[in-house]
Amino acid sequence: MSRIEVHELSKYFTASRPALVDASFAYEGSGAIGYLGPNGAGKTTTLKLLTGLLRPTRGSATINGIDVAEDPKHAMADVGAVIETPEPYPSQTVSEAIEMVAEFRTGDLRGSREEIAALHARLELPPFDQRTGRLSKGQRQRVVVAAALVRDPRILLLDEPTNGLDPKERILIRNLLNDLKKDHLILMSSHLMQEVTEICDQVIFINQGQIVLRDTVENIARRFQARAVDAEFATPMPIDRIRGLGPLVQDVVVIGERRFRIMFDGTNSARAEILAGLVKLGPVLSYASASLVLEEAYLSLMQGTGNAHVGASPRSSSDVAG
Amino acid sequence: MDLSRLPSDYLQLISAFRRQLRFYLRTLRYVGCLGFVLVVGGAVTGVTIAEGSSMGTAAASLASGLGSIATFGIIFCALIGGDAIAMDFGSGTGYFMLVLPVRRAILLLGRYLGAFVVTVSLVLVIYAFAIFATAWFYGLGGIPWADVGASFLLALLFVASVLATAFFFSSFFRSPAMSIVTTILVLFLGLDIADGILVVTGIEPWFSILYAGEVISNAIVPVAHKTVTQVAGLTITTYSPYQWEGAVIMVAYLVVFLFLSIVIYQRKESKG
Repeated sequence: MSRIEVHELSKYFTASRPALVDASFAYEGSGAIGYLGPNGAGKTTTLKLLTGLLRPTRGSATINGIDVAEDPKHAMADVGAVIETPEPYPSQTVSEAIEMVAEFRTGDLRGSREEIAALHARLELPPFDQRTGRLSKGQRQRVVVAAALVRDPRILLLDEPTNGLDPKERILIRNLLNDLKKDHLILMSSHLMQEVTEICDQVIFINQGQIVLRDTVENIARRFQARAVDAEFATPMPIDRIRGLGPLVQDVVVIGERRFRIMFDGTNSARAEILAGLVKLGPVLSYASASLVLEEAYLSLMQGTGNAHVGASPRSSSDVAG
Repeated sequence: MDLSRLPSDYLQLISAFRRQLRFYLRTLRYVGCLGFVLVVGGAVTGVTIAEGSSMGTAAASLASGLGSIATFGIIFCALIGGDAIAMDFGSGTGYFMLVLPVRRAILLLGRYLGAFVVTVSLVLVIYAFAIFATAWFYGLGGIPWADVGASFLLALLFVASVLATAFFFSSFFRSPAMSIVTTILVLFLGLDIADGILVVTGIEPWFSILYAGEVISNAIVPVAHKTVTQVAGLTITTYSPYQWEGAVIMVAYLVVFLFLSIVIYQRKESKG
């Protein structure tokens, strides 16, 4: 069974500014884990430590029980990784770049043509004989993702895998990852909350090198959804009238001519009172928890206004992802 | 994935070597060096034949043709291997290669072997022109093949040692261009200047790979180990390495710098 574990993992580039401090988590089985945090939070550092690109100052990163720093060859045997902006040798063709990875993983190219052809179709890769040095950023990224997937490694470590892709390409990768997570273990960092919401089952929030929250998307949704509702009126409604409902309404954001996001303290009584107030203002078509729960959680945690640390270890140290 | 499917280090070395060889053969650097050596070698050989300047003996003719091989060897090695490690840390290549299930030492040795083969192919062109010009005047039978063989083996060792040195320098830089330029400056100009200073002090430059490279042509026309001359009241002491001495210096460069390159490459981090 595939397993990723980091144990009290720390990385200091300078003594005064740690990039990662005592990070611990473990996942096994299958599923997708989103790794979220602002720039410089330590996401890429963690992924680099998990792939042997960096050496830990202390602690350990193991894949399938093998310490990455001690035996990277065997630790990475079942891992496909896309970290930062990988570039194949520019003179390699698309098929050569992917074949090379296949050859390093299994020592031969048996069946690789069929496999690469399948990846080619699935990821809409550029022509086989095109040099990778002449590809656009998006094309190169898809080739790199294909190389990470060749020979079907069961663990995928992806650092903002849709970075630099256009919307069509993002959908392509998103659909691919949603398929793969059924029988692969995926750890992916991202800035895109919507993307993480659509792909991941579990989420790790990291800020200033420290993991501040780790839980299932479902649990986070439950916690943070409770603090915002989206309301839609049948007719246009001035925002001031909603603000005028009283102290229960902490903030109101316009998300459409007739749609508003209303922030409140999260209690059921306040939620009911606000609904009653809205109905008095005009006909309400819908009233539901806000959908961008991860964004809400992210902003709350990063601004230090949320339940940081409350749920830092909400489950056992080893979570079955799938 | 079943770990038993993972290829052995040996198989991965073969893969790394083949892939790297293909990469080098396609680079502009290699094509440029090949074009340069073909044009310059062809021109010099053409002029030599046209002027009928046979150098007196077949050995002298060969030694003349191979006289610049150490200089060219250093330039070729620096151009081909000068960015071997830097390329992984100054561009995205490292993020593609270093996350694969391959030991870094194997990747580096594959690159090294690839660089060695393409550099030797350039050296072979120089030998081919020297042999052709000599055969033109003295016939194939007049060529001292045993000496040519010894010279070529020493040239292979020279290329191997200079490449190891170039790999070592490349481990200190993130920019491939800076790495190549520094390798050329240190190996070519730096050691040449040091040799020039030592001529006056009378110290044998036993530490210099450039000095050791002199054995490539000395294998065909032996030169006295030590020559002392007086120029304008100044005592000039020039040394020429014994064959064994040159070989030992080159082996030392090869072993030390290749070992250091592997150690540094294995420990180097992708911090960018």
